[in-house]
Amino acid sequence: MSAIDHYINAIMKQGAAEAWEDGSADTEAHHLLLALASHEGTAAHAVLSSVGLDRQAIRTALDREFEHSLSMAGVSLAAYDLPKPSRDPERRPGVGASARLALERGYATATGKKDLRPAHLLLGVLNTGIGTVPRALALAGVDRGDLMARAQRTLATERW
Amino acid sequence: MPADEIPVAKDPADALAAAAALRRLADQIEDAAVEQAMRAGWSWPAVAEALGVTRQAVHKKHSKRLIAAGVTLRRRQ
Repeated sequence: MSAIDHYINAIMKQGAAEAWEDGSADTEAHHLLLALASHEGTAAHAVLSSVGLDRQAIRTALDREFEHSLSMAGVSLAAYDLPKPSRDPERRPGVGASARLALERGYATATGKKDLRPAHLLLGVLNTGIGTVPRALALAGVDRGDLMARAQRTLATERW
Repeated sequence: MPADEIPVAKDPADALAAAAALRRLADQIEDAAVEQAMRAGWSWPAVAEALGVTRQAVHKKHSKRLIAAGVTLRRRQ
């Protein structure tokens, strides 16, 4: 397997672990973003770090987006003091629709399999104005367009 | 909150995100509540009836994680 295959496998595995931790049935695009931010040594990681987005900052932004979206329906998360439910250790989250779209968009930004690098996957996750990721970034005050431009620039200069 | 005070999201993006978030919150509440009930000695048929789903559905969705957590499960009321 090539380096990018190993990387994609690692991101999918980490994304599934994030989904499991969330109690989510599927790995979604925001779980992939958490995974991209967790793997150091890539241009994707450097781009996220350059605007202060480490894994914890993204987790915080996602939690805020959840609370904000609930508030749009007049529901306050603070009203629910939920005990943390047990998880099935054997459960393997599937790949959700938003993660599939992010991967497809990422692959589409590369000129071929040999060109595919971590920053392409980051672009795939960022390249939508709809859904949890752009909403969470906006609430965190992150300019998604600027982030995409940074990722594009690294593709011209960085090999990984 | 009275019905006329519930904010109505005017932007479709906000309304759709609210629907997705409510679905996720409902799942979280269900996971926590089913575990709480089973730990308190409720049976599968009683939990299913309370949720308005079949016993098979609730068993399929929750039994593995509760067994893994060591919860003693009652089959009947």
